[in-house]
This record gives sequence, C-alpha cells and structure tokens, in this order.
Amino acid sequence: MQSKQEEFSIIGENIHTTRIVLRDGKRHKTLENGDEVILYTEVNGNQNQISVPDWFKKTQPYEQGQVKHFMIAVLEAINGDKEIQHESASFVQAEALRQIRAGADFLDLNVDEVSYKIDIQKEAIRWLVSVVQEVSTVPLSIDSSNSEIIAAGLSQIDSSLGKTLINSVALERLETFDLVEKYDAKAIITAAGESQMPTNDIERLENVLRLLEEADRRGIKQEDIFVDLLVFPISVDGSYGLDYLNAVKMLREEKGDEIQITGGLSNVSFGLPMRKIINETFIKLSLEYGADSGIIDPIQTDVTKASSINIDAEPHRFARDMLLGEDEFCMNYIKAYNEGRLVVK
Amino acid sequence: MAIIHEGLLGEMQYIAKPFEQNHIKDLFKKDDMLMQEIAFNLIYGNNEKVDELTKTALDQGYSANDVLDDGLISGMAIVGIKFRDNIIFVPEVLIAARAMKAGMAHIEPILSASGVEPMGMVIMGTVKGDLHDIGKNLCIMMLRGAGFVVEDLGVDTKPDEFMDAALEFKAQVVGMSALLTTTMPNMGRTIEFFEENGIREEFKMIIGGAPVTQEFAEDMGADGYGKDAMACVDLVKEMVRAK
Repeated sequence: MQSKQEEFSIIGENIHTTRIVLRDGKRHKTLENGDEVILYTEVNGNQNQISVPDWFKKTQPYEQGQVKHFMIAVLEAINGDKEIQHESASFVQAEALRQIRAGADFLDLNVDEVSYKIDIQKEAIRWLVSVVQEVSTVPLSIDSSNSEIIAAGLSQIDSSLGKTLINSVALERLETFDLVEKYDAKAIITAAGESQMPTNDIERLENVLRLLEEADRRGIKQEDIFVDLLVFPISVDGSYGLDYLNAVKMLREEKGDEIQITGGLSNVSFGLPMRKIINETFIKLSLEYGADSGIIDPIQTDVTKASSINIDAEPHRFARDMLLGEDEFCMNYIKAYNEGRLVVK
Repeated sequence: MAIIHEGLLGEMQYIAKPFEQNHIKDLFKKDDMLMQEIAFNLIYGNNEKVDELTKTALDQGYSANDVLDDGLISGMAIVGIKFRDNIIFVPEVLIAARAMKAGMAHIEPILSASGVEPMGMVIMGTVKGDLHDIGKNLCIMMLRGAGFVVEDLGVDTKPDEFMDAALEFKAQVVGMSALLTTTMPNMGRTIEFFEENGIREEFKMIIGGAPVTQEFAEDMGADGYGKDAMACVDLVKEMVRAK
C-alpha cells in the first residue's frame, strides 16, 4: 500500500486537562520564596510561568510527583479574577501555538478531567474554546465522552477557522451526530461497539461501517469524517497492534482513498519503557497499513521523522516485532531494553 | 539468613527501602529452598516450572496453605515492588500472574475440599455508561493471581446489576472501575443505590480507574481506592481483613 505520510492529518492532543509535567522535571521550578511554577515559552520567545496553586498541592497527583498544568490553568481561570484569567489564557494560547507550529492540523481540547460535575466541565470547555480560538490558525476539535460538554464547546465556536471537529461519535452515543449536523462540523467516529469495546479487527470494521451508513443516511459527507479505529496497549495483549493495523487495512480496502483513518497512536505503548521508539514504529506501520491521520502530540512525536525510520533495523525492529504480534508478552522488547539495546544511534 | 535461594537473593537488589527489605526477608524466614524456588520462578513468570514445583511440594507433604503463603504470595510481593519501582513492566506482571494461576490450579481444589474459604470473594465491573475494561481486567487478573475469587461483571454495569451480583455471589468486596470522568459519578450513584436498599454496610465498596483519585473516593463515600492493579490487590486484602 502506498504511504500517505504527505497528507497525514495530525489531531494535536496536548491541550487536555489530563496532561502532566513532573515535579522533578525541567518545566517545574521552585522559586526562592518557596512558590512552585510551571515554565513555558510565550509566542514572542519570552519565558513565562504559571503558579502551582495551594489547592493543587493537596491533591493526589501532586503527592505522586505530578502537576496537571492544563487542569490548573482552566480551573484557575473559571474560578479566578481577570488577572488570573489572563495568565491562564496566555499559557494555554502559547501551548496551542506550539502545537500548531509542530504540525497540528486540529487542536483537540478536552476538559473532562477538571471535575466530575457537568456544569464545571461545560464552563471549562466554553472558556478553553474561546481563548484557544483567539490565537489558533487551525480548526478546533472538541473532545469529550459526553455530548453535552461537546455541545457547550461548540456553542462558543466562531467558524472562521473552518469546520470544527467533534471527538467523538460512537454507536453508544449516536445523538452526537445531531451536533455534527447542527454545527456543520466534522466528526471523528470511533470503532467502539454499543455495549462493549471491539475485541478484534473485524468488530472494529463492522462498528464503523454501521456508523458510516448512519452518517451517509444523514447526508454527512465522507470527507468530513475521520475514523478512529481504537488503539489499545500492546503491553496488555500482543494482538492489540495488529487488531488496529489490520482494521486500518480492511477499511482502506473497503472504502478507498478518501476515507480518513486515524487513532490515538501513542496509546499502544502504555505500560512499557522507551515509549518513543514504540510510538515512532507504530506510526510508520500505521502509514504502511493505510492510515492517514493520528490523534497524537506533535511536539512529542515527529511524524515526518517517524515515517523515514528504518523499522527493520535496531532498535526499532524490536518494537516492530512486538507490534506485529511476534513477541509474546513483549519479552524480547523488554529484554532489549534491559540490555541497553533500545538506543537510537 | 532468611533467603537461601541464590536467584531470590539477587532479587533483593531491587528492594530499595529498608523496611520493605525486612518485610521480604520475613516472608522467607522459613529458610525453605523449595518454597523460595517457587517464589523465584513465579517472579520470572515461569509458569511450567511453578506448576511442576507446586505439585512436587504438595506431593512431598507441604500444606496447600504453606505453598500459597511461602511460595506464591511471597513471590508476588516482590513482583509488586518491582512493578511499582519501574523495574518491571505490565507484561512481566501479567506473566507472573499467569504463573501464579498455574500454581493455584493445584492449591485451590485442596483448599476448597478441606473447607478453607478462598482469600475472599470480589465482584468487579466497569460502571454504567463506560465501556473501558483494560484496567479492570488487569485488576481481575492480579486479584485472581493473589488467590481471590473474582466475578467479572463486564462493562456498562448498572447499579442494580452490581447489587444483584453482590448478593448472589455473597461478595465481600465490590470493585468499580471507570475511565471517563463523565461516568465516574455513576460510582457514587451505585454506592447510593446500595444505601437506598439498606445493604451498603454488608460490602466493602472500592473504586479505581485513570481519572479516579483518593479525594474522589472519599467524596463518593467509597471504602477505598487503588491507583493501579497492584494497589488494587493490596486494597482488597486490607478490605477483607477489615471485614
């Protein structure tokens, strides 16, 4: 199959309230007065920072050495005064522009984790959409597992950036298609089933074909659809790599060149060391099998570089074998890691 | 000297904290080479060897309880520490659990025939509206590996389904999982449902999942929270002891 890396669409997934920086990492700093801050670089190159507030220091992530910088920015903004809102906005906007510069074609925004209270989640997504679109040059992707939150985000959209992407529509929540129609949006449709996650490649294909039929019935154009074929961690089951890849291949054969096929590609490396090597290899394999999009963080993962990697040579071949189901329980990969062989020369 | 098995001695290098070193040494204080051999093979996921050695031990007259405690569970304690400290990774924990299962296949029939209750009965499911089950399945594998009997309720489990299963299987512990913040409140609703039906106090109710925190567990009125599959096993042990 011909590689489609030239037109690879990146749905930049960094602006999520789940994201963390490590307290012992280089973006975290403790000032002389004891205050803790997260450093970032403004668009004009200036160094700036947001404070780690006291309430966050009482949370469990903090105790485990993590700072959820986007969560802090969003919650401080919706609870704080004008000054704090301004600080939060400039941080979020700087991060958004970094994503775009690194190649994001959409900016995926997700606030689900700020709270489990729907009103706070809705307020958070409204704020985030409004500040990101002030600076963005690419369309936004509104990401939530709840269509009410997606609707709240969409209500703030000013359409000058082009069609917004809705992440996502699934068989378990077909009503999200109503929003796609109402806002003339694009949609990510996922391969999740009505009552369970797909257990293999065929189920993935069947689920998305049903959704594509429904989209067609509603007059939603194929060019406005991305299909997320669901990437699960290879550490849990050795068949999870091929389940995704084979589904990509089958869908490409079934639907031809136009359909856009994506997935959260870095999920595949969860639970294993040297995730970058696995992620790069999986991007390369995804391209070979016919995918033309990824829900990834373009700052962490360089698609152009990944597409030029020789995955038949060390160290990537260890990841290749593992991802293609030829390394039971990832034992050879982990052995290579323990022997110090997972080094990029 | 508590540990006499050479491989197992080598494992001590991965146990950094002095109090944990003492705990591990204490687990192996019987100086029993065969039990330590079982523990060592369990740590490296050698299920055929664990299968064979467990059988040998039982044939030689070791009690099923001793093999469970001194061999299998003691080995698993080291696996837990190595996983927490990033010395081993998810697949290695899974093969250790598989080896544990191979040993348990010999132990369980003896324990149940002699009327010994299993370690505990747990029901576990992903809450209503949530189809994610990878984390929940890892927990179940680890719990079964640790000797618990677990009834898997699958995904999208409604409050009444949790209740019916808890009563039917006479569970001690009810475990709920969620990956989505939008479904997390259903953990609280399930706990409320147990309260409304007057059976809340009969069960320990615990929760877990990527976005779940200790604070959230307290908000929801849960009895406990585990941050990953290994923590889940420790938590369930604590819950069963407390009952």
